[in-house]
Amino acid sequence: MAVLGSFILLLAFVLSSAAFSVSLVGARNRRLSLVEGGVGLYHVVTALMLVASALMIHAFITGDYTIKYVQHYSNSAQPLFYKFTSYWGGLDGSIMFWTTLLAVFGSVAIVVNRQRQRLLIPWVVVTLAIVEMFFLFLMVIHNNPFETFLTSHPTDGQGLNPLLQNYYMAIHPPMLYLGFTGMAIPFAFGIGALASGQLDDGWLIAVRRWTMMAWLFLTVGLTLGGLWAYEELGWGGYWMWDPVENAALLPWFTATAFLHSVMVQERRGMLKIWNVSLVIVTFFLTIFGTFMTRSGIVQSVHAFGEDRELAMLFTGFMVLTLVLSFGLVIYRMPLLRSRNELDSWASKEAAFLVNNWVLLFAAFFTLFATMFPTLSEAVRGERVTVGPPFFNQWMIPVGFIMLFLTGVGPLLAWRKSTLANLAEQFLWPVIVVVCALGACVAFKIPLWASGVAFSLCAFVTTSIAQEFIRGASVRRRATGTDIFTALVGLFSRSRRRYGGYIVHVGIVLVFLGFAGKSFERTETVSLKPGESFAGLKPYTMTYNALTVTQDPAKQMVTADLTITRSGKAFANMYPARWFFVGHEQEPTTEVALRRGPAEDFYVVLASYEAGDQSAHFQVHINPLVNWVWFGVGIMVMGTFIAFLPERAMAFATAKVPEGSATTTLILLLALGIPTLARAQTPSGGQIIAESAMERELMGEIMCTCGCRLTAANCGMPNCEGKAAQRAKLKELIAQGLTKPQILAAFVKDFGSEDILSRPPDSGFNRLAWAFPYAAGLLGIGAVAGMAVRWTRRKGTEAGPIAGAAARPDLEDRLDDELRDLD
Amino acid sequence: MSKKMIRVLLAVVVIGGAFATLLATTMRESAEYYKHVDEVMPSASAWYGKSLQLHGFVVAGSIQRRPNTLDYRFMVRNGDSEVQADYTGVVPDTFKDDAEVVLKGRLAPTGFKVDENGVVAKCPSKYQATGTGGK
Repeated sequence: MAVLGSFILLLAFVLSSAAFSVSLVGARNRRLSLVEGGVGLYHVVTALMLVASALMIHAFITGDYTIKYVQHYSNSAQPLFYKFTSYWGGLDGSIMFWTTLLAVFGSVAIVVNRQRQRLLIPWVVVTLAIVEMFFLFLMVIHNNPFETFLTSHPTDGQGLNPLLQNYYMAIHPPMLYLGFTGMAIPFAFGIGALASGQLDDGWLIAVRRWTMMAWLFLTVGLTLGGLWAYEELGWGGYWMWDPVENAALLPWFTATAFLHSVMVQERRGMLKIWNVSLVIVTFFLTIFGTFMTRSGIVQSVHAFGEDRELAMLFTGFMVLTLVLSFGLVIYRMPLLRSRNELDSWASKEAAFLVNNWVLLFAAFFTLFATMFPTLSEAVRGERVTVGPPFFNQWMIPVGFIMLFLTGVGPLLAWRKSTLANLAEQFLWPVIVVVCALGACVAFKIPLWASGVAFSLCAFVTTSIAQEFIRGASVRRRATGTDIFTALVGLFSRSRRRYGGYIVHVGIVLVFLGFAGKSFERTETVSLKPGESFAGLKPYTMTYNALTVTQDPAKQMVTADLTITRSGKAFANMYPARWFFVGHEQEPTTEVALRRGPAEDFYVVLASYEAGDQSAHFQVHINPLVNWVWFGVGIMVMGTFIAFLPERAMAFATAKVPEGSATTTLILLLALGIPTLARAQTPSGGQIIAESAMERELMGEIMCTCGCRLTAANCGMPNCEGKAAQRAKLKELIAQGLTKPQILAAFVKDFGSEDILSRPPDSGFNRLAWAFPYAAGLLGIGAVAGMAVRWTRRKGTEAGPIAGAAARPDLEDRLDDELRDLD
Repeated sequence: MSKKMIRVLLAVVVIGGAFATLLATTMRESAEYYKHVDEVMPSASAWYGKSLQLHGFVVAGSIQRRPNTLDYRFMVRNGDSEVQADYTGVVPDTFKDDAEVVLKGRLAPTGFKVDENGVVAKCPSKYQATGTGGK
């Protein structure tokens, strides 16, 4: 198997060199047969990489410990899921994973653009093949993941580090890799455009959506990394400017800049050199990030080990990339002339330009500060480091400027905003900012950092809301429909613009979460069983007991805490330390976390005395943290809207055939019938219902043995918690109580809602439950809005558009922008 | 065009200069020397009171904790030099005998006083994280 794997990698290397040379000759001599041959060879490389990956995964699942890499990162006791994710758990495998993803992305991009970008394709293949060649070369020469033990091999593996055996850690690296490799596609098309001289906007259209997708993966990947740190590492935060984190942030900045500046080129034909440079720099930074974390060039607690040879290879490749790419840019300079000049600084394109500078500054500042220890060592011979405070000192103002521009951008017109125009657009946002600042002063919120952040959030929100309201009301008047349909119409006509606004709303929420950071509180306490701690008002934490439990993989030391808030029961929490078998020396911290929209209550069991059971806890109150995750969710949603293909929302603007309203009604009724039918069922036999109820309830109640599973799922042998729960449940059912009553009884006896596997329908919990229903209602509203619109259309089509006459200037501007932005 | 060029250049120089000055001044405040134990200890007195990141390995068996507190005392070694370190607080999961650590703090004649949250334990070679996140 291992031999086959090594051979496939070698073959892939040879074939990608062939793809490279065949495509190069084909592109230069315009020989169609050669071009097609190159494309075919590239697809074969992709297929080979997929086979190699399958072999690697197979080796992990079957436990082929003759392969060093498998032996190092897996063992037989590991759950299947983590055997699978061990594939990218180490250096060699992660490079192979990278290469595979790149090959697959490349193939997809080539197939999708084969017809439209005929002239670019051979150059795209050339570029992608070089990148593939480099990584395959690394694997063949230096980091072969299929390397075997020369002599006798161990019978079992060492296992993946327990810290990595975590759900987030399993999906976070692939997300980042998807983002990183996705950025290679825009690069390949950019180089293709430069090399072929096809520098009209065609290539931009081809890469716009790729960049958006890669950007989305990067965003999600970064967030998952933060979530992992927050939930698994137990230091109460999610970001600390570690070099490895920064490595992934760098291309995120430049990709964000590109997504904005590309609009200026599409709309005004400016910034051509800038855009192509951004694509190159973004790709360069993805390679550089990979290099930084894998060569030992920067000191990081979780960088891969030092590796001089790898560093040299990477440096060579990076220099080659830069020289060739920028050489091409200079060579094609005459073709990259701007069609227009900047008319005024009070214009949208100027705002985009400043936004780009700020983002680029953020990227280079981060790069500089991350590399500073290495630079200072090279220059002065002494390693001098800068810490997170330094990053924060600089990045907080930079973040504020970016947030401010997010609010300003939509308010400015293309080319030039007139004074009257500015006054009209800025009136409301400025009023809101003044109010927000006043409120900050009134509530004694410190003005720097948090006060400014809140005000800017208010500013951006108002400016976006104003855009939606104005756009929708103009559209409503113009088309004569209701405001709701007009709003849907806005999205359908200009998905990218309004999807972008949704992303900005997400950004605002993320910043809200960042601002909460300045209100965090942390205490370290030492308690004996029965003692309470009330240092973090309004919470009181009582330490009940320390328990030790065991399962096949680990021993768990769990503290039992009862938390009250202002005297009322708040939560039962169980921070723990887990000692994995084979890793007894390094217990993992299991954070106990109670999330809330206002703040998180976060407890870590720092240490304990086996003798008198006294324990040390670190308690964090983290305000507004959840808004960061929620905001990223909104960003993802906005990106999806912007990403939707042309036709996805065509229904909102399409001509509607006769009688469609009736059809919709019938469909709606048909959808409603199952609900009615289901509503009639719960009147079955008494005995069956009882046992079903018991089974159902067992799935709703948590087992108390500390396994963190429901009573129905608890797999502990001789679990006392489960038996006790079952007995109690039987008794309560026998008393003839209803389901809610039984659950209430459990909650009452246990002291908090943590005994339930699902949140009950009350208070804030109702919000979580309300969400699907709200979504449903929204859907019904959408259909109703459509129906109203369809039935009205006939009338309005006949008459002249009445509403638009009221404000012809605004209407013109809107239509102009809508037309041109998409 | 040339007049515009000059204006642009001037703007770049002024803004760039301002940034560079700001960067230099803020950096002076927050820069910390990053040293291995054996680089510091031979001339220890020169380092007293300076903000320092100390890189070394925890000497096996040297980790002591005062009962019922989070006060740690341990020895850190690199090469031939050793220094005693004092720390109060929560240690990371990977802090143990022989762990590679980076300590943030100040050196004093009585030993190395580690700042709050100043212990960063480098993951052992077996731990090769794949992406971002955490310490």
